[in-house]
Amino acid sequence: MASSHACFVRTDDMDHSQTQHTGRRELQMARSMCWHCQSEVSGEYFCERCVKVQPVSKEADYFTCLGFPRRLTIDPQKLEAKFYELSRAFHPDFYQNKSETEQAISLSNAATLNTAYRTLRDPIQRAEYLLAIEAGAVKEIRTTPPADLFEEILELQETLEEYRASDQSSQTGQQLRSKLQSEQHALEERKQEMETQLQHLFVEWDALQDRGEATSDARTQRDRLLKRMREILSNRTYVRNIVNDLVATIG
Amino acid sequence: MAYSDKVVDHFNNPRNMGSFKKEEDGVGTGMVGAPECGDVMKLQIKVQNDTIVDAKFKTFGCGSAIASSSLATEWLKGKTLEEAQKIKNTDIVQELNLPPVKIHCSVLAEDAIKAALADYQKKAENK
Repeated sequence: MASSHACFVRTDDMDHSQTQHTGRRELQMARSMCWHCQSEVSGEYFCERCVKVQPVSKEADYFTCLGFPRRLTIDPQKLEAKFYELSRAFHPDFYQNKSETEQAISLSNAATLNTAYRTLRDPIQRAEYLLAIEAGAVKEIRTTPPADLFEEILELQETLEEYRASDQSSQTGQQLRSKLQSEQHALEERKQEMETQLQHLFVEWDALQDRGEATSDARTQRDRLLKRMREILSNRTYVRNIVNDLVATIG
Repeated sequence: MAYSDKVVDHFNNPRNMGSFKKEEDGVGTGMVGAPECGDVMKLQIKVQNDTIVDAKFKTFGCGSAIASSSLATEWLKGKTLEEAQKIKNTDIVQELNLPPVKIHCSVLAEDAIKAALADYQKKAENK
């Protein structure tokens, strides 16, 4: 598995020596010592020597927690498989007869993995999360508010109010309703378009990461992609909100 | 979480809801949004001799966002441009008793004021 993280260690080759356990797993951890036997652990979910479960580092990002590189295109099946594998590894049932410390670690690991999985599973949440952890490096991603979209939303909001206040079985009510319906369809289409645009940006982002260049050109490119993703994600939220409002009102 | 009485009052009886024509002389328009929650706020001021003679707003968002912008327009009326610059989101938080999770609504209102003032200045300079 490719990764830009230096402390990401493969330990597959040691599997044979620890057959009594469910196999070795890789994980980036800030701590470098097993809490139990003090031997070196650098990237495993379990200590090589005493096979005790190790806590997932609080500093590790969700991609790392699940053993995925920081990329936006993720195969959902692979992600799910990895999540199930780790869920089994940390399942509280397997720790009933273990020490309290191990029970606590497994429980906390399971919780972290759950959050990590839920975040990465959804492409929108995944992108929002990536922006949040990448934003630190660019300080602030400023975007200009989409004035036209805002005007549209506010206008639509007024029509919605008008419809709510109207006698909905009257002709005016019916007209407003069909107007709102067509607006809803148009907005849903736009939301779809935005999601397609995001997919393209995901591919661009991943390709840039894979090239791993440290040129100023690459940095400009990176900032441009982050900003563009921020813009689309924000606009999508505005559109989603008004669509939800429309759906709730006209069904 | 319950809304404070003042928020409920502004929500039920929003002051100065509506809009001016953007192109109109002396009108400054501030259009801001909060990408995290999807709230949209439009705040407009009408200026004569460096004093805000009227203000209007339209907000698509939660009760606190509506109350924040409604209160902002009330405060803006009669203020000079310089005084208006000094309105802080914390003043709004205090007046409306906003809980921590709703502080971003007051930030949005302050941003809208700043944007409206900036838009007015820009228009005035380009004249």
